[in-house]
Amino acid sequence: MKDVAVIGAGMTVFRRRMLETGKELSFLATKMAMEEAGIEKKDIDMVVMGSAPDAFDGIHMKGENLSDGAAGTGKPYVRVFNGGGTGVFAPIAGWWHVASGAADIALVVCEEKMGSCYPHPQTAFRHIWDPILDRPLNPNLVWLFAMEMNRYMSVYNIKKEDIARVAVKNKRNAVGHPCAQIPDEKITIEDVLNSEVMAWPVQRLDISPPSDGASALIFCSADKVRQFTDDPVFVSGVGWNIDSTMWTNRDLYFPQYVANAAKMAYKMAHINNPRKEIDFAEPYDPFDYKELHHMEGLLLCKKGEAPILTREGVTERDGDMPMCPSGGLMGVGNPIAATMGQKVCELYWQLAGKAGKRQIPGDPRIGVGQAWGDIMQMGTVIVMRRG
Amino acid sequence: MTFLEKQTDPTSPMHWRGDMQADYLYPNGWAGDRFFKNLRDKGTFLATRCPKCSKVLFPARLYCEDCFVEIPENNWIEVPTSGIVRLYTFAKLDAHWEPLEKPRCMALIDIEGTDGSILGVLDVEETDEDLTGLPVEALLRPVKEREGTMKDIVCFKPSV
Repeated sequence: MKDVAVIGAGMTVFRRRMLETGKELSFLATKMAMEEAGIEKKDIDMVVMGSAPDAFDGIHMKGENLSDGAAGTGKPYVRVFNGGGTGVFAPIAGWWHVASGAADIALVVCEEKMGSCYPHPQTAFRHIWDPILDRPLNPNLVWLFAMEMNRYMSVYNIKKEDIARVAVKNKRNAVGHPCAQIPDEKITIEDVLNSEVMAWPVQRLDISPPSDGASALIFCSADKVRQFTDDPVFVSGVGWNIDSTMWTNRDLYFPQYVANAAKMAYKMAHINNPRKEIDFAEPYDPFDYKELHHMEGLLLCKKGEAPILTREGVTERDGDMPMCPSGGLMGVGNPIAATMGQKVCELYWQLAGKAGKRQIPGDPRIGVGQAWGDIMQMGTVIVMRRG
Repeated sequence: MTFLEKQTDPTSPMHWRGDMQADYLYPNGWAGDRFFKNLRDKGTFLATRCPKCSKVLFPARLYCEDCFVEIPENNWIEVPTSGIVRLYTFAKLDAHWEPLEKPRCMALIDIEGTDGSILGVLDVEETDEDLTGLPVEALLRPVKEREGTMKDIVCFKPSV
């Protein structure tokens, strides 16, 4: 297997409803990544597209529709998707294109245009449930999050304000992100606790917004990377794992599928003690409690310890173990697959020292990014290190 | 196992009736916004010329997908609303597989002065004659009825 490096990344702004088509968003993100890498379309051997359900954009087979905006025309091209896990799974697929030796340079583009689904993309989520057992009850996805959050809180006796801290931290972190949809320098814990209750204990400001956007990443085999950079960032481990569709039969207080994926990635990356060896992380945070849940799933702390570390400031950008220095989904926005921008591109920007106002102080050398998807099922994990 | 039984009545297994609700607003896009506003207001076609390969992209696009470069502002050009037939068929069924009252000619039209083409209805009676290469002209809705969508192009008519 070949070592794989990152040589460029790009990301559009994230907004609720954008004029640009999905193809145009893909083009803009791809062009940025190609300019950063200093390559042209002819230099790209293969292309991976990541985009979550067709139902968001409202185009069946949308991977094919997006291909010309993703520099895919005339090239080996494939779309991968596993719901919210896609933002990390698509770069995993890009990694294996290069690691296998099939491509020297692989482009990964992730796109989502949730604003097309009108009046609200929530309608698309109505159809992801089991059609026999769940859908006749007409469930709303927020109900499921509320049940999971409630279970997590009750198992460890977690207070709501300790969860609201994550929303505050990430929306403040997002202030330094040029693509951010809802950065907020002045938000307080009280703002979160006073926001509208969607389904107890989930409140309006516990949730990331639906968004349009795209992001792109370019991988290069290690034996070719020196022609692009003297200070490369490498992918050192990847992992992915799915749990049972029968979510009703599992205890949702702990994301075992994330832990399984993390163990796979850490083994590949030769990481024995993730808490000590990993410098920062981008756990998936579509809801504030999910960051805590996923920190624990990523084995970055003990079970139930994530809210305590957050309260102590450990996960702040200048803390010992920064979480979501990008601003995450809570602050930058949540165009499902395109959150590769926060979860994977951000690892590259931080490790390459290109994160600008968001740069973690010190000398971060190893970062982990993670996404989650489907009905509390899919864990996708990527570890990156500076060369 | 019902696997090997011949099933003739799809409603015979116990079931519930569901649907997949899906409603959309499709924005015209960055390039499409300008193309369709121009079509609505001026009744003309716009194209964009790739600064690298010089292909004239139609309908106007933000980027050239071959060269993967963005189209600069001064590369927008007005092109004729005429062209020639490249491909066509006489459809007997509609999108729901219902018979059409009379066969509809669906065609790809190469737009004059461009390297692009567009799907349209060709206003001709069914014929055994080969229509490939037939010169045609777009018929637009009256200006007051235009909405800035593909439906503003009623059909293509053979040029006189």
